[in-house]
Amino acid sequence: MKRFAHTVIAIAVLLNLCAAASAELLFPPPEFESDYVMPTTTTPHPHQDVYEYVDVAVLFIALSLASYLVLKKRSRRATFVLMILSLIYFGFWRKGCVCPIGAIQNVVLSIFDSTYAVPITVSLFFLLPLAFTLFFGRVFCAAVCPLGAIQDLVLLHPVSVPYWLAAGLRALAYLYLALAVLFAATGSGFLICRYDPFVAFFRFSGNVNILIIGVCFLLVGLFIGRPYCRFFCPYGVILRQVSRLSKWRVTITPDECIQCRLCEDACPFGAIRSPAVEWPAVEYAKAKKRLAFLILLLPVLIVLCGWGGSRLKNVTSRMHSTVRLAERIYLEEAGEVEDITDPSTVFRATGETIESLYERASIIRNKFILGGWLLGGFMGLVIGVKLAAVSVWRKRTDYEADRAGCIACGRCFKYCPREQLRLSKTKQEVC
Amino acid sequence: MVDPNNNNSPNARIASPWCRSAVATALIGAIFSIIILTLIVANYVQGRVHEIRIEKRLENLKIEIREDSVDKQALIDEIRLLDLEFRQSRLPRPSFARTGGYLLLAALAVFVLGIKWADTLKKKTQIPKLQQDDTGEQVRQAALARWSVAAALALAGLVVLLLVIIPHVDFSTTDAEDASYPTQQEIRQNWHRFHGPEGAGVTADANIPDNWDGKSGEGILWKAKVPVIGHNSPIVWGDRVFLSGGDPNRLNVFCFDAVSGNLLWTGDVKRTLPKSEEEEFEVMEDTGFAASTMATDGKRIYAIFVTGDLACFDFSGRNLWTKSLGIPDSMYGYASSLETFRNMVIVQYDQGDAESGKSRLFTFDGASGRLVWQAKRPVANSWSSPIVAQTETGIQIITAADPNVMAFDPNTGAEIWRAECLAGDIAPSPIYAKGLAFVVEPYSKILAIRTNGKGDVTKTHIAWSVDEPGPDICTPVTNGEYVFILNSDGLALCFNTVDGKKLWEEDIREDFLPSPSLVGDKLYLLTEKGAMIIAEAMPEYKELKRCELGERCHASPAFANGRIYIRGVENLYCIGKQ
Amino acid sequence: MAESKDIITRRQLLKNGCCGGCLAGLGALGGLLAAKSRPGDTVWQIDPYKCIACGNCETYCVLEESAVKCVQVYELCGYCDYCPGFHEPGATALDTGAENELCPTGAIKRKFVEEPYFDYTIDEPLCIGCAKCVKGCAAFGNGSLFLQVRHDRCLNCNECSIAAACPSGAFKRVPADKPYLLKNVENA
Repeated sequence: MKRFAHTVIAIAVLLNLCAAASAELLFPPPEFESDYVMPTTTTPHPHQDVYEYVDVAVLFIALSLASYLVLKKRSRRATFVLMILSLIYFGFWRKGCVCPIGAIQNVVLSIFDSTYAVPITVSLFFLLPLAFTLFFGRVFCAAVCPLGAIQDLVLLHPVSVPYWLAAGLRALAYLYLALAVLFAATGSGFLICRYDPFVAFFRFSGNVNILIIGVCFLLVGLFIGRPYCRFFCPYGVILRQVSRLSKWRVTITPDECIQCRLCEDACPFGAIRSPAVEWPAVEYAKAKKRLAFLILLLPVLIVLCGWGGSRLKNVTSRMHSTVRLAERIYLEEAGEVEDITDPSTVFRATGETIESLYERASIIRNKFILGGWLLGGFMGLVIGVKLAAVSVWRKRTDYEADRAGCIACGRCFKYCPREQLRLSKTKQEVC
Repeated sequence: MVDPNNNNSPNARIASPWCRSAVATALIGAIFSIIILTLIVANYVQGRVHEIRIEKRLENLKIEIREDSVDKQALIDEIRLLDLEFRQSRLPRPSFARTGGYLLLAALAVFVLGIKWADTLKKKTQIPKLQQDDTGEQVRQAALARWSVAAALALAGLVVLLLVIIPHVDFSTTDAEDASYPTQQEIRQNWHRFHGPEGAGVTADANIPDNWDGKSGEGILWKAKVPVIGHNSPIVWGDRVFLSGGDPNRLNVFCFDAVSGNLLWTGDVKRTLPKSEEEEFEVMEDTGFAASTMATDGKRIYAIFVTGDLACFDFSGRNLWTKSLGIPDSMYGYASSLETFRNMVIVQYDQGDAESGKSRLFTFDGASGRLVWQAKRPVANSWSSPIVAQTETGIQIITAADPNVMAFDPNTGAEIWRAECLAGDIAPSPIYAKGLAFVVEPYSKILAIRTNGKGDVTKTHIAWSVDEPGPDICTPVTNGEYVFILNSDGLALCFNTVDGKKLWEEDIREDFLPSPSLVGDKLYLLTEKGAMIIAEAMPEYKELKRCELGERCHASPAFANGRIYIRGVENLYCIGKQ
Repeated sequence: MAESKDIITRRQLLKNGCCGGCLAGLGALGGLLAAKSRPGDTVWQIDPYKCIACGNCETYCVLEESAVKCVQVYELCGYCDYCPGFHEPGATALDTGAENELCPTGAIKRKFVEEPYFDYTIDEPLCIGCAKCVKGCAAFGNGSLFLQVRHDRCLNCNECSIAAACPSGAFKRVPADKPYLLKNVENA
C-alpha cells in the first residue's frame, strides 16, 4: 500500500512537471451551452496586514508606558495591569506571533541569506525592546512580553533558586541563543519558534508535545519565578547584557537605603544583591591568583569549546532538510532501510543526480563546521567570563537590584520603608 | 527561600472571612479547570482513537465493495453509516476545543485571581533574619557558583562526546572530488568561456567545417530559438551548450543539448531591483541585460548579468547560489565576461572612474559561492574580460582597463605586475601567447607587454607599442607568431608578435561585432550581418570563402568537437559536417 | 573621599562610554536592518506545482482545523462526469454516495450543469486539507484542485510548522499583497 502511495506521488510529481512544460490539459474545459456562470476562486485576504503597523505602535506605547510606570510612578499594581493587557493583546489576541524573541532569527537569517528580506515591522520588533532596555532596563520583560506575563501570573509560592544553581542553569539560555542563531543563519529552521512553550496556549491548539512542555514550565513556574525567562529565553540573554549598560534603572528604594534588610527576600527572581563588605583578608591573595588563572583559562576554553562545537557538525547539520534528505538517500542506496519517504520520492522524481545532492549537502554540512567553531567559541567565552565574573569581588554598601537580572517588575518597592514613606507623603499632598 | 517566619498553621490561613472566600474562589476555579481540562483531553483522545478506527474500517469496506461481493447494498449502508459517524465526530472537534479553551482560560483566571487574593491577604511583613556572617556566605556562594558552572561545562563536554561517538551517516565522499577541476587538456577540447580557452580565440580542433549556408540549411545541424535575447556568446562543455538572455522582466540561463539542439532547461536568476522605484534601471539596447558571456568549470556554470547578479547552476539546472554584486556603475552597462580558474569563478567588476576606487576583481568558490579573494583595481569602468594565462613564470590573471593592464595571482589575488598604458573605453580583452600579453587601445594603439615583470612594469616590460587603429570592440587573436586585429569597421591588421612589425593591412568593408577566431592557420571572421569570412592569414590576407547564415550576429562563435556554434540575434545555430 | 569620588566618576565615564558604544552598535544594527528590510509583510503559501499532496497539511498546522484547504480553479476544471478528485478509484456508481466519495468529510459538492458536465465546488468549512482529492485530480485529471493556505484562517506563524514538515519544499514566503499562488491556464 505504502509503495502504491509513493508511485502515485511520483506520478503526480511527474505529471505536475509535465503539465508545467506543456500547455495542454488532459481534459479540455468545456464550452457550456446553458447559461452556467463559472464561479471564481475566492482568495480571502490575509488579516494581519492591518495589524502590521498597529502591532509596532502598541509595542512602542506599551514599552513607554512600562518605563513610566516602573521608573517614574513606581507602581507594581499598574505594571501588573499593563502586563495583563499586553498578555491579552500580544498573546491571546495576536496569537503571540511575531515576538521579539523569534525576531532574532529573522534578523539573523536576513544577514546571512541575501534572498530573504526581513519585514520592517519584524526588525522594529527586534530593535525597540533593545533600545528601551538600553535606556530604562528590562521593562520589556516586566510588562510587555506575553511569555513573561503568563509565567508571572502563575507564580504563587516563590522558592528561591540558590545563586550558584542559577549561575549554572543560565548557561542553557546562552546555548539556546547560540543554537537558534546557528540554525537560522544556515537556513535550517527557526528553533525558538519551533519550541516556543507558551504560544500553544495563546492559540488554544498546537503540537501536543510542545503543549506538555508548556504545562511543565507553568507547573514549575508556580514555585520558581519565570523559569523560561531566566534559564532559557534567548532574547532575555541579550537584554541582560544590554541592561547592564542601561542609562536609568529600577532602584529598590526611592531615595536612600537604610540597610533595614526588609527587601532581602522580596525578589522571586533572585535579583537583589545584599551588601558586600571587604574581601576577607586571608582569602584575598588566593582569590587574586584564582582570578588570574581563570582569565588565562579563557582563551583555552574558547578554543576547546570551539573545537568541540565543530565536531558536532554531523549532529547539528541534521536540522537542515537537505542534509537529512542526503542521509536518507544514502541509507536507501546502501540498502539499510526498506521503505521510501516522501522527500526521497520527490527527490528521485526531480532527476537530480545523487552525487549532486551529496555535494549540496556536504557544502551545508561544512557550513556547520565553521558554525560549530563559532557556537562553541561563544559558549567557551560565556562560560569563561562567567567563571571569572563569579570570582570577582564587587564592593556594595547597599541592597540593590542586579543590573542584569532585574526584570523591573517592581515587586520589591513595597518592602522598602522609604517607599512607604514616600507613598504616604504623596497621599498627604493629594489630600 | 521559604520564609521561616511565615505562619503556616491552618488557623492563620483562614484568619479572615475574606481570606476564606478567596481560598474558596481559587478552589472553585481549580476544580472547574480540572474538569474542563479532563473533558478537553478526553474528547481529543477519544475522538482521535475513534476516528482512526472508523477510517481503517471505511478503507477496508471500500476495498471490499470493489470486489465482487454478495451483498452490495448491505456494504453500502454500512459505509454510509460509518461515514456519517466519522463526520459527526470529526467536524465539531475544533469548535469544541476552542470553546473548551476559552472556558479553561476563564476557570484558570478565577483560580489565579483567587489564590493571588488569598496570598495578598495572608501576607505579613517579613521580619529580617538575624544578621549572619554575610561575607563568608557570599564567598561560599561564589565558590559554589564556580563549581556549578564548571559542572555545566563538564556535562556539556560529556554530551558532545556522546553525540560525536554515536554513529552517523557519512555521505560526504565529495570533499576530495570537490577540489577536482578540469585539466588543461579538457579545457583545450571545449570552449568554456568567451573567446575560448585562455580567451585566445584559437581552437585546437582541426575538424572544423568550412562550408554552410543558412538559407538552404546546408551544413546546419540544428537551429534552436533562444527564448530571451542576449548578446553573450555561447559556451560549450561536452554535449552541452550554454548561453544566457535577459530583459527587464527576467534573467535566464539556457542549456541546450549539443547533439539535438533541444532546450534542456532554463534557469531563472533573481534580479536585484534598484533601491527606489523612481530610479528606473536603464540599459542601452546595444548592451542589453545579458551581454556578459558565461563560463564553466566543467561541473558548474556561471552567469552574470548587467544588473550585477551573479548566478551559479549545476549541469542539471539547479541554481546552486546567486549573488548580487551591486548594480554596477558602468557607462554603457556591465559587459565583462566571466572566467574560471580551477573550481573558482573570476569576475572583473570595473566601475566608475579610476579615482572612485569602486573597481574590483572577485574570485568566488564555485561550489559554495564564498568569496575567495578580491582585489582593488585602480581603473575606470571597462568592458573587457579577464584571462587566466599559463605564463612561463606561473599562472596569471591578466586584465585590461583604463589606465592599467594588471596581472594577479589567481590563488591569492596578489597583484603581480601592472602597466599604465591604456586610455579610453576598453572593451577588447587581452590575449596571451609566448610570454607576451597583447592589449589594444581603441582607435590608437596596439601593445605587447612581457609578462615576466614584477610591480610597475610601465617603463621596463612593454615589448613594443605601435600607433595603429586598435579595435573598439573585437578582441584580437594570435597564433604566437602573428597577432591579428579586426576593427569594427572592417579594417584588419596583422603584426609580428616579436617586434610589432606590421605585415599586412586589409579593408574588408564589413561591420564586425563578433571577435575573430583562428582555426589552424585560417581566420574565421563573422560579420555583423551573419556571414563567416574564412580567410588565409599568412603570409598575406586572402579571402577563401564566405558562408552566409542569414541572421544578424552580435556574439562570437564557439568552436568545439568539430562544430561551430553561432548565436544569431534570435536563434542558436550548430554547424558541422553531417 | 576624594579618591573614591574620582573612582566613581571614572566608572561612570566608562559606563557612559559603553552605553554610547552600545547605542551606536544598536544604531548600526538598525541601519543594517533598514537596508535589509522591506516594507510589507510576507505570508506563507504553497506552490501548487511543487505540492505532492502528502497530507501533512492536515496534521501539522498549529490550528486544530488546518489553515490549508483545497481550492478549485474552474478555468482548469474539465467538469468531468467521473472526477478523479471526487470519486473513489473504481467507484461503483458515479453518484454522491459515501461509498463512492473520496473526500472524508464530504466537502466537495457535485452539481449537474448540463450533459455531460458536472461542477465541483469546495465547501470550505468542511474541508480539512487532507489532499485526497488533490492527489486524484493531479494524477488522473487536470489538476484544477490543489491546496492553498487560506489567509482568513492562517495565523502567519514566524516559522510555519507545515513548511518545516513539507517533504517537497512547496511552502514559501510570498509578499502579503499577492498572497495566493493559483494555478492558471497559461501555466497549466
